[in-house]
Amino acid sequence: MRERMRLAATRDLELLRSTLVAGREPTRPSISICAGTGCRAHGAMDLFDEFRRQLDAGGLDDVEVRATGCHGFCERGPLVVIFPKKIFYHGVKPKDVESVIEKTIRNGEIVESLLYKDPVTKEKSLLEHEVPFYAKQQRIVFRNNGKIDPTCIEDYIVADGYVALARALTGMNPEEVIDAVKQAGLRGRGGGGFPTGRKWEICRAQPGDEKYIICNGDEGDPGAFMDRSIMEGDPHSVLEGMTIGAFAIGAHKGYVYVRSEYPLALANLTEALEQSRSYGLLGRDIFGSGFAFDVELIRGAGAFVCGEETGMIASILGDIGSPRQRPPYPAESGLRGKPTNINNVETWANVPVIIERGPDWFAGIGTEKSKGTKVFSLVGKVKNTGLVEVPMGTTLREIVYDIGGGIPKEREFKAVQTGGPSGGCIPESLVDLPVDFEKLTEAGGMMGSGGLIVMDERTCMVDVAKYFLNFLVDESCGKCTPCREGLFQMYSILSRISQGRGQAGDIELLEQLGTYVRDTSLCQLGGTAANPVLSTLRYFRDEYLAHIEKKECPAGVCKELVTFRVEADACTGCGLCKRVCPSESIAGEKKEPHTIDMATCVKCGVCYEECRFNAVIAE
Amino acid sequence: MARLGVFVCWCGANIAETVDCEEVSRYAGTLPGVTVARSYKYMCSDPGQRIVTDAIQEHNLSGVVVASCSPRMHEPTFRKTAATVGLNPYMLEMANIREHCSWVHTDRREATEKAKDLVRLLVEKVKRNVPLKEIEVPVTQRVMVIGAGIAGIQAALDVATAGYEVVLVERKPSIGGHMSMLDETFPTLDCSQCILTPRMVEVMQSENITLHSFSEIEQVDGYIGNFNVKVVKKARSIDLDKCTGCGDCWNNCMSRNRITEPVPVSVREKTPPDVVAKVDAIVEKFTDDAGMVVGALQDVQNEFNYLRQDALMYLSEKAAIPLSRLYAVARFYNAFSLKPRGKHIIRVCLGTACHLRGGGNIADAITRELGIGHGETTKDMMFTLERVNCLGACALAPVVTVNNKYYGKMSIDKMLKVIEECAGEPAAV
Repeated sequence: MRERMRLAATRDLELLRSTLVAGREPTRPSISICAGTGCRAHGAMDLFDEFRRQLDAGGLDDVEVRATGCHGFCERGPLVVIFPKKIFYHGVKPKDVESVIEKTIRNGEIVESLLYKDPVTKEKSLLEHEVPFYAKQQRIVFRNNGKIDPTCIEDYIVADGYVALARALTGMNPEEVIDAVKQAGLRGRGGGGFPTGRKWEICRAQPGDEKYIICNGDEGDPGAFMDRSIMEGDPHSVLEGMTIGAFAIGAHKGYVYVRSEYPLALANLTEALEQSRSYGLLGRDIFGSGFAFDVELIRGAGAFVCGEETGMIASILGDIGSPRQRPPYPAESGLRGKPTNINNVETWANVPVIIERGPDWFAGIGTEKSKGTKVFSLVGKVKNTGLVEVPMGTTLREIVYDIGGGIPKEREFKAVQTGGPSGGCIPESLVDLPVDFEKLTEAGGMMGSGGLIVMDERTCMVDVAKYFLNFLVDESCGKCTPCREGLFQMYSILSRISQGRGQAGDIELLEQLGTYVRDTSLCQLGGTAANPVLSTLRYFRDEYLAHIEKKECPAGVCKELVTFRVEADACTGCGLCKRVCPSESIAGEKKEPHTIDMATCVKCGVCYEECRFNAVIAE
Repeated sequence: MARLGVFVCWCGANIAETVDCEEVSRYAGTLPGVTVARSYKYMCSDPGQRIVTDAIQEHNLSGVVVASCSPRMHEPTFRKTAATVGLNPYMLEMANIREHCSWVHTDRREATEKAKDLVRLLVEKVKRNVPLKEIEVPVTQRVMVIGAGIAGIQAALDVATAGYEVVLVERKPSIGGHMSMLDETFPTLDCSQCILTPRMVEVMQSENITLHSFSEIEQVDGYIGNFNVKVVKKARSIDLDKCTGCGDCWNNCMSRNRITEPVPVSVREKTPPDVVAKVDAIVEKFTDDAGMVVGALQDVQNEFNYLRQDALMYLSEKAAIPLSRLYAVARFYNAFSLKPRGKHIIRVCLGTACHLRGGGNIADAITRELGIGHGETTKDMMFTLERVNCLGACALAPVVTVNNKYYGKMSIDKMLKVIEECAGEPAAV
């Protein structure tokens, strides 16, 4: 264990960094393995052990192997980058370790088979930033993910970590920090897009010495996981951002509220807290400035509504996470009745860069009203799933096609769902929409926390709306009637429609109920709950009508309305459908057309999804 | 053999707009025992009532069903009408096809079917009716309320305020019941004592209420209006008028006859020692009493695999947190389970990306394979299935975790293999 000395002044930090940098040879090869949750699921930790074992056995124990945070390209994991050249290998298996060490580490040669090959152009990419997935991205929040070992504060310090904190605490006063954040135009990345500097200013202006700040890491939106990757991959950037914010606001205690589903984030943050404290970057008299601040970790317990500010405050105090009426806003009366400032993980991670590189630089990125970058989790029916960070104002087309590589199996792009259960579906016709806070809201979507869920022709929009309502009915805390009862009624109507029992007038009824729920719910969970229904109604009304009037599901999803059959002419008898069928309802000899027994078919649609020859027909 | 008449009222458009009254009337005519069935615009109007009386006389009807509004509206009207032509008023019943049917439905066909059902029900009822005679009996204008919990207290107060005499009987030495043991009340979390105690005082102050506390009902005789109740007042051996409730006698009673209050037994003594030790260790870690609930419950669950009752009861005592609050929190958050869980906990992600890529099919396949639904555990305590809202690994959709290990891009095939591997391991103890 490395001895860590308290950094009593900013020059101690500079000294430490120069010592650390001097100890590292930039030209020496090192291996960085993505150890985000995605790559871990692909077996990254086994790979890490295998590299270490073989390197040590081969007398290469001076080659460093780093388990870093998420690189974002989860689809192709486990990802390995060989420094200093930044050679990018994907899908690396333990059996490949030998050749990577032999060829790349010892001899500087390339292992061709592990390079990324563009599925369309067949062109291979050698370096990470040449891969099309990364080429259009601009990584500010993710600046360190993939470079540093998140459990090693020294890595963060080498990457200019805590420089911003030193500058803020010793060279600026709180007002100047707030001005810088305002000037940078940073807006809340949790969904609402409220100007961060303004939020801080309100909280600072409140009377009293006891104030709190909270980092909202309760990433509850299904389909979004960037906050997880930041907390797992670069926890110090969040802590540094929080400390700067606390200084600006005048708070001395902070909380990070982490979802219970993120054990790795919790572990890395715990480690990071320990390390920061031992360097005196948290605690009393940070950098000799007299400013004191410390952070406590709070584990969530699986409740979506705790992502709402007042729900989260109740949860931190050990109560059920029911939101309360606002105003008073948390900035006036929050945790323990004291002024409290809550920002999302990604917002906090932006703060150090703004202080370090200046507000003008940050304000130069993005669109007129939405500055900086945004991390999106690009998932669903898209080829390259993963986390992408792009400047605000990048079009959906660029994100879905250039970065995401388009829709798999050459199917039609239908819509993207943004903003989770509070957001909406944006149809294919708006694919050239530049993505920022205002544009998304106009189009009936929402920035939300940044989930971009791509849907293709085989996604049923009624089913999607039903899915979100089911989610919200489940997660509604039950405190206020419109949300508890209204959403349940809307869900019942949608279920009826998807089962072919829809009636004329159901659509109008949904719209009416949706408006009531929106206008009369206590918190934003109910306030935005109707969005998935209203936005799909806005763009995909025909699909609703098909369900109601013709009792048909055009996408072939709603089980009660669809039957499957095999088109004998198109079937090659490959047997794939027979293998994947969970109910053994498909019969047929090899190279002969297969048939589906509808008596035992459970209508899961797996055969329909898997068939490579479009021989399975949904009717 | 019954000779019944059915009279279906349109109530203008109130009923006729949604219910096909002609059809209902036609249908009623086909029911066994129905001699005559008519429908008319306003059955309660003079001409309408005449239709009823004429039919009773003409067909010598033995009973009548009027299908119209709620009996609360016009039952007295029609019963009086029937009586004018000699039919026993209790041989007339109302089928409520307005409030219970036309006003609350929109589909004309379905509403008509329901109206028919309602009419048929009432026809059968009238067949079983017997003529009743009204008699008068004297009634004692005094009310007994048994049980002086909050409901009993409020009932006694309401009746007393209305000017009647009330006898309130309570088994315990003090009134107040369960509510006196609560901190806050659902759903507004109002202070329980602030609601209860003023009413307790009011009971004592009310001149119309005679309170018998520490008393029990031994016998109830008689009938509505004239009950005879035997109340046993248990011995207190004190002059209630002079007692200030200081408690000295209680503490110093020399005879064995004193009221014995159950000696509070520490939950600790009834809890297995290993559970006590583990909960003690958990409570040690927390300094902030208020904020510890969620964290402590998580630790308890990690320790015992679920929130076992004895551990929660002991945690409540040890940390001085009301058990009700522990349960409220445990029920609110999805991460907590109050039931024992299996050795292998399978979480199937149903986040949006996983939903689109078939996460639901995988959960369904597990249900078919293991016979367990969401939150359920196999009988051999090997597997628990949880359908969760998002595991935050959306790029790998569909995602499943088994004992917190992530499996990305799952298929039904792969899932069944994982289950098979787990099943090969020895069962949980």
